[in-house]
Amino acid sequence: MNILITGLITGSMLALLAIGFSLIFGVARIVNIAHTAFYMIAAYTIYFLSAKLGVSPFWAMLIAVAVVVALGLLAYRFLIDPIREHEAAVLIATIALAMIMQEAMLLIFTGDYLTVSALIQGFFVVGGVKVFHQQVLTFVVVLIILAALWLLLMKTNLGLAIRSTAEDREVANLMGMNESRLAMITMAISVALAGLTGAVIVPLAVVSPFMWMEPLIIMMAVVVLGGLGSIKGSFVAAYILGFTEALVVFLIPKGAFLKGSVALSIMILVLLLRPEGLFGVSFEEER
Amino acid sequence: MLLEISHLTVRYEKAVLINDLTLSVDTGELVSLVGPNGAGKSTTLRAISGLVAWEREIKRRSTSGDIFLDGTVTFDGERIEAIPAHEIVRRGLVLCPERRRPFREMTVLENLLAGAYLQKDKRKSRETLEKVYALFPVLKERTRQISGTLSGGEQQMLAIGRALMSEPQLLCIDEPSTGLAPIMRQEVFAKIEEIKRLGITILLVEQEVSTVFKLAARNYVLSSGKLIAHGRGEELLKDETLRKTYLGM
Ligand SMILES: Nc1ncnc2c1ncn2[C@@H]1O[C@H](COP(=O)(O)OP(=O)(O)O)[C@@H](O)[C@H]1O
Ligand SMILES: [Mg+2]
Repeated sequence: MNILITGLITGSMLALLAIGFSLIFGVARIVNIAHTAFYMIAAYTIYFLSAKLGVSPFWAMLIAVAVVVALGLLAYRFLIDPIREHEAAVLIATIALAMIMQEAMLLIFTGDYLTVSALIQGFFVVGGVKVFHQQVLTFVVVLIILAALWLLLMKTNLGLAIRSTAEDREVANLMGMNESRLAMITMAISVALAGLTGAVIVPLAVVSPFMWMEPLIIMMAVVVLGGLGSIKGSFVAAYILGFTEALVVFLIPKGAFLKGSVALSIMILVLLLRPEGLFGVSFEEER
Repeated sequence: MLLEISHLTVRYEKAVLINDLTLSVDTGELVSLVGPNGAGKSTTLRAISGLVAWEREIKRRSTSGDIFLDGTVTFDGERIEAIPAHEIVRRGLVLCPERRRPFREMTVLENLLAGAYLQKDKRKSRETLEKVYALFPVLKERTRQISGTLSGGEQQMLAIGRALMSEPQLLCIDEPSTGLAPIMRQEVFAKIEEIKRLGITILLVEQEVSTVFKLAARNYVLSSGKLIAHGRGEELLKDETLRKTYLGM
């Protein structure tokens, strides 16, 4: 039961992170290593607003997402966009960006572990296991976000343009889709998802300047398992890894630190056995 | 003239892909551009639809070689060689690219709607969709099918249909019959004639010279980036060397 709940929550959180990461990779071939660092920024913003300034948690979350989107767009405009056609440079630049954000948080908030109180207190018991209301809330909110994202991608003109560009940006260009504007919009959506993940998870997690690293590794494993650039793949793989993680923690209670290694092992196995992932799209560069 | 290409030159690094090409298409015409493989036919279409300039921008940003583009392209009285590709469609010039290139993971309908991306009036794109379905009934039958699972011929119909969804004045089609079975080829050519009858001007790049010469009023023959002949099909075919060396007939 416990595994089910943690698995669902971790899986949903990973799905949000991995889909955001996949989106911007699909549309603009940007591998954004700083993706989970934006998630950390959202967590800190919420901590600062709610614990220090006494802003209500709901508003703190909205402001945090806005802050992260603004930062993401700034980073895109001045750091990533100018070198966007240079994959190695983007990789290095986003690693540097993540480190900068980590150091900035260290400077401002020190390395102390911080916590934010739950939005709703209390728990109920199912099958002998305590389920906190906050866990349910987080799960429901994540599902709503995923549904909204699905609607955006599948049912709107913008979503159509994003998917077209992800599939073949040259042909998308021929259809009148402004590829560089779409890349920017997608970046905004992508970091908004990272920010939202941070926002919904913060009452359940510990806030620290290094909190971006573990999710980054597991998110990468998700993306590799699901197939780079495949949104459906990210979704399925997120739950697979979410449950794996919960299972590892359950089977080896003292081995929570193994989570990252298990994710890495899965990633390496997938790369060896089926490099295109579960729902892999093979990327032939079209000309 | 609807389209006028004047002294167009395209170089990739040192390689000259198009060499001082001048060509024009009048409203309502079906004009063909033929020539051996690697002659620069696709590059010509890519240049007028803005893709060469777009590629040049990418290469500059990734510092992976340079593209040189010179000459003028006038469409409907407006110079378009400096206009970005995604803005050129808006003006009524659309390219149906080589190798069809449908959005393979999307349905037939989504592909067609992508073609109408710039049409913000949903009622109008609905109307255009009905016209495209009338022209290609097979697409209507397969509205919800994932386009990657269509046959080659159907994918070609889809690619042309998608281009038509932008309601173009000039439709450029790059090798629509290549790789298709003979019956399918004839059908594609029949559709192209039908599109012409709808009043859409067509610039057609093709390998299958014998059929194309019957369709097109005027033909340009390109080889190694240079224009080597121009005229009506039967006149061009009279020239023995031209026929043997450049048209492979
Ligand atoms: N991106 C490119 N970089 C360098 N050379 C290219 C590129 N694309 C095409 N070429 C070369 O340009 C020439 C013309 O190509 P293309 O326009 O595709 O010919 P066609 O469509 O007539 O077969 C060919 O020799 C081809 O090898
Ligand atoms: Mg070609």
